[in-house]
Amino acid sequence: MQIQDTLPQLRRYYHISPRLLFAAGLVALFVAIPLAYIFFRAITGGEEVWIRLLQTRIWKLLGNTLLLAATVTGGAALIGVTMSFFTERTDLPGRRVFRWLLAMPLAIPPYIGGIVHLTLLRPRGGFIPQLLASWFGQPIPTPSPLGFGGAAFILTLFMFPYVYLLSGAAFRSLNASLEEASRTFGRSNWQTLWEVTLPALRPGITAGALLVALDVLAEYGTVALLRYETFSSAIFVQLSGRYDRSAAAVLSGVLIVIAVIILWGELRLQGQARFTQMDSQWRPAPPHQLKRWKIPAFLLVAFVVFASLLVPVLVLGVWSVQALLDSETLASIMRSGSQNFGNYVWNSLWASGLAAVIAVLLSLPVALLSVRYPNKLTQAISRFCQIGYAIPGVVIALSLVLMVNRYLPFLYATPLVVVMAYVLRHMPQAVRASESALNQLSPSMEEASRTLGRTSLQTIVQVILPLIVPGLLAGAGLVFLTSLKELPATLLLRPAGFDTLAVRVWIWASEGFYVQAAPAALLLVVASAAPLYFLLRREQIFR
Amino acid sequence: MQHFSRKLFGLLFVLTLLVSACGGGTTVSGENVPETESAQPVENEAGVSGDLVIYSGRSESLIQPVLDAFQAKHPTVKILLKSGSNSELANALIEEQANPQADVFVTTEIFTIQNLYQQGLFASYRPAGADSLPPEFIGPDDSWIGLTRRARVIIYNTELVSAEEAPTSIFDLTDPKWKGQIAAAGSTNGGMQAQVAAMRQLLGDVDTQEWLAGLMANDVTFFGGHTDVRKAVGAGEFKIGLVNHYYYYLQQAEGSPVGIVFPDQGEGGIGLISNATSAAIVKGAKNVPAAQAFLDFLISEEGQKLFAELNYEYPLLPGVALKEGVQPLDGFRLADVNVAEAALDFNGTLDLMEAIGLP
Amino acid sequence: MNALELRNVTKRFTSAGTPAVDDISFTLADGEILALVGPSGCGKTTTLRLIAGLERPDHGSLHIKGRLVASPEYFTPPEKRGVGMVFQDHALFPHLTVFENVKFGLKGQPAAIARETTHSMLKLVGLEKFGERYPHQLSGGERQRVALARALAPRPVLVLMDEPFSSLDADLRHEVREQVRGILKAMSATAVFVTHDQEEALFMGDRLAVFQSGRLEQVGVPEDIFHDSATRFVAEFMGDSDFLPGVVKENGIETELGLIPQKVNLPVDSTVEIALRSDDVNFDQTQAPNALVLARFFRGAYYQYRLRLSSGKLIHAFKPHTKTIPPGTSVHAYLSAGHELTIFQNGVAVGE
Repeated sequence: MQIQDTLPQLRRYYHISPRLLFAAGLVALFVAIPLAYIFFRAITGGEEVWIRLLQTRIWKLLGNTLLLAATVTGGAALIGVTMSFFTERTDLPGRRVFRWLLAMPLAIPPYIGGIVHLTLLRPRGGFIPQLLASWFGQPIPTPSPLGFGGAAFILTLFMFPYVYLLSGAAFRSLNASLEEASRTFGRSNWQTLWEVTLPALRPGITAGALLVALDVLAEYGTVALLRYETFSSAIFVQLSGRYDRSAAAVLSGVLIVIAVIILWGELRLQGQARFTQMDSQWRPAPPHQLKRWKIPAFLLVAFVVFASLLVPVLVLGVWSVQALLDSETLASIMRSGSQNFGNYVWNSLWASGLAAVIAVLLSLPVALLSVRYPNKLTQAISRFCQIGYAIPGVVIALSLVLMVNRYLPFLYATPLVVVMAYVLRHMPQAVRASESALNQLSPSMEEASRTLGRTSLQTIVQVILPLIVPGLLAGAGLVFLTSLKELPATLLLRPAGFDTLAVRVWIWASEGFYVQAAPAALLLVVASAAPLYFLLRREQIFR
Repeated sequence: MQHFSRKLFGLLFVLTLLVSACGGGTTVSGENVPETESAQPVENEAGVSGDLVIYSGRSESLIQPVLDAFQAKHPTVKILLKSGSNSELANALIEEQANPQADVFVTTEIFTIQNLYQQGLFASYRPAGADSLPPEFIGPDDSWIGLTRRARVIIYNTELVSAEEAPTSIFDLTDPKWKGQIAAAGSTNGGMQAQVAAMRQLLGDVDTQEWLAGLMANDVTFFGGHTDVRKAVGAGEFKIGLVNHYYYYLQQAEGSPVGIVFPDQGEGGIGLISNATSAAIVKGAKNVPAAQAFLDFLISEEGQKLFAELNYEYPLLPGVALKEGVQPLDGFRLADVNVAEAALDFNGTLDLMEAIGLP
Repeated sequence: MNALELRNVTKRFTSAGTPAVDDISFTLADGEILALVGPSGCGKTTTLRLIAGLERPDHGSLHIKGRLVASPEYFTPPEKRGVGMVFQDHALFPHLTVFENVKFGLKGQPAAIARETTHSMLKLVGLEKFGERYPHQLSGGERQRVALARALAPRPVLVLMDEPFSSLDADLRHEVREQVRGILKAMSATAVFVTHDQEEALFMGDRLAVFQSGRLEQVGVPEDIFHDSATRFVAEFMGDSDFLPGVVKENGIETELGLIPQKVNLPVDSTVEIALRSDDVNFDQTQAPNALVLARFFRGAYYQYRLRLSSGKLIHAFKPHTKTIPPGTSVHAYLSAGHELTIFQNGVAVGE
């Protein structure tokens, strides 16, 4: 029997297992403590810190952060939906290939994309302005990639795939009958798109957009690189530039409040996004004919792929070759202290891998509880464990720096703290993947196992786990992918001699040694692309 | 698998218990009376081994050759390097005061290290050869030692700016004729922080603030580090940059058309702002012998030569020759800055930059 | 000793709401097949799950083979009850082959014996050639039989089946249920079987238990349930009965269709209802009409007619298809039962 397409009815079950509840409660506590600690520090940060920040920083940061989040979210929604419309609902030439290419920028951390575009676009010194200058014989003013415009451009370019993937899946799952019904009521193709199709996709689009918004709030590398100050980068500066943690804690408290509001909206939409689910009657809607718009549409999609994928990969590739050919650069790439390139790669892989395993293990009791015993308490635990989405890496780092050093000094300055930050931050992906895998598993499987003489633990090991392994692997893949790219928490928490690829890229790039940073960046992209490929293969639109 | 997760939960449980059991906490305050531990120099230099944890605020490319040379001398030492900004690492040291992780702290200026000394973070050690260094570059209680000097200079692109045109004072940088043509390092950069701290000593807060505001009004582009600045000026992207002197020589070595000005030498000028890279042994260091050997090496003739030769810096050890072509500091009038005072109010410097909104 | 005994079992899913299962008691003898039947939401599946140990009772007790397995204070988990269950969706493990699925419940037995038992079970259900296949490679009927073989393999003291045929097509269903009944009887298995299809219940069950709204309306052999319904609900659900109002008189019950000469133990002038099935009613055109033919349904061997009595009451009647009477015809309806009719007062059957 295939894993069921339909949601199994949520059955009332025998008593909630106290062991499971206890385990899930511990996981929730593990998530809660750093958050509670930061809030505690924010509130007790001292009146004069609050007053100083309210008078000087908070309002401007709030404006900056919200403006950037809103712009990037809007831009990502626009590009994401447009791209998924072209690849899913039209006869765009090459749409099968584009479907993949448009998702791949997820493998490129925005700060690496930012580094590449910055070198290309920097006024006067950038590759493009110089090219223009040599063509026209005089400098041509070009928009600067620094500041708000640049940050918005880069973040949009590398975050639109969230919306693209979610809206693409929604487009794909739409039943032809929906649009046909609209046509029978006298609506044109165009009216149908606006009045029926897009509203039907709204939950998917909004869920993607809110993910983008959360990511923008958490983003450190790009805004720091492009010198646009948001809460995240300001916290980092406070944290690394001052001998006073209170200000950072206060700013973190404000940032968490904003993020929790957005996360709350996203969680509310999660369930609703299901209403485009396919049933057995499903028929794909026939693609629209682009006709004379075929070439402009092709160029538009090609441009997005060019800017978000080809340019970064090509530039990194060229730099990497340059770096490898230059013995001096190569020598500096290979060493920092007693560490060499192999150490960075290995550190990246094992820390992210361990985080993925732990996050998935911790997500299991939470997911089992919320899927099998759905009630207010278990839902609350599940949602609570997804709060990591709303805590930017730099805040998690701050919390762990303060807490671990004070209460668990033996853990401090070990790579395990870095792993812990990854787990806290990326647990939501694991919880969601585990829940969705369990949701597709009929509860009668477990009941059958119980009546055939297995205890609940044996059932989990012998029946549930083997059946949800693909789903768990997907969750682990997501955690691995996002941990690999993680920058601010790693920067702040890494012990001496524990640099990851992301850290090396950042250190070299922030010193201006872009060529030197390129091989590590390229490797990071490739290492992220592998799990991404695996994850996308599971998605319906890539079958 | 269950077993593993059960153990894991056990660990988590212990963790949460620990956290909830320990209420409150200690805060680090700047008023701590500095305590210094005395340690005897370790004789058998060749015998040092083990992990040597170095927190370094210096650009990696500038310190790696020195680490390599030290490593060559002590092959059994494993150097664990954590690079970052001076303040980031200083913060880490303060945070770790009760649980020290680093053995040696290396920084690009002396205010930070002096400030940390005032917080009692360092162990006293007077390296072999320290007596030959100028006394003002040895921290109180032998808490830290200076390594090399560097001067804050103006670099310009000679294809875009003639030697006569080039500004001769850092105050010329606020002149509207350079609007949008200047690059500098931003507020997170140690060199820049030190410059502002020095200027506050020399001019007071009001004038310093005015100067910074002038830079911002002049659309100065602030980068994260000086390598970006020198490369941008070298490429003609900007006409003028504000850097440490050796960045000029590094850029020149790449074949770029750049010139250098040692500013503020005129009558009534504030003089050339200079600073020194420095190093200290962290109190509670786990590998004191290796840390001491490392400090010895940094101010040995061999170490000093490396800084001079590879980095174009001014070695503090008398008798070590400058790299060919580097103008000696002797010929310049240096700004007179009270290090201890500047260090004490380092937060004030950060506040000032923050208030101005320096990127 | 009874194979199964439920005493006053009650189960609520919300503390305030009405009970899903309300004070149910019944027993089951060894080798007997009991069909739990009733409309959806009546509590029959919950009862089955209580027996399996997939739910805990709030009140009452359950005994399997004389051993207490559940009470408010005591609970034996499903894996310790020695019951086998066939699920509505069969719940075959997709990651295991047919052979491994059947063998799954034989844990703890020596490998050779487990293999032997599995082989013989597969043979019993006629699937000995399918052992290496995976569940998704089987047809619906084959999956059904695998599920049964898996439930039976550990020789459970009790086999529980939750609407096991509902996922099968009508044709297949008749065939499979006959096979299943044969297999259960061949193994002398004691079984509890849940269905909402009264015909299936009558076919499968040695005895039936009819549920409504969490209550047990009647337990009995199929004939009693059909002909001697304890409640109006049972008569209606199990037999498609119509209910004709009547008034108790000295010499019988007076109805719109005349006096029924049947004595009941009720005071004169009590109002009652008489259950009528289509075969209890006849009509002709020889006397003064008292009903109107509303519709005629072709039922193969006979026609079923829907009649409206002068009072507006609807009743149904069978007639052979040799003669057709068009809707709209006025006719005279009369009773032709030839046996005692079941009489209800306030929904409960009344005796003589």
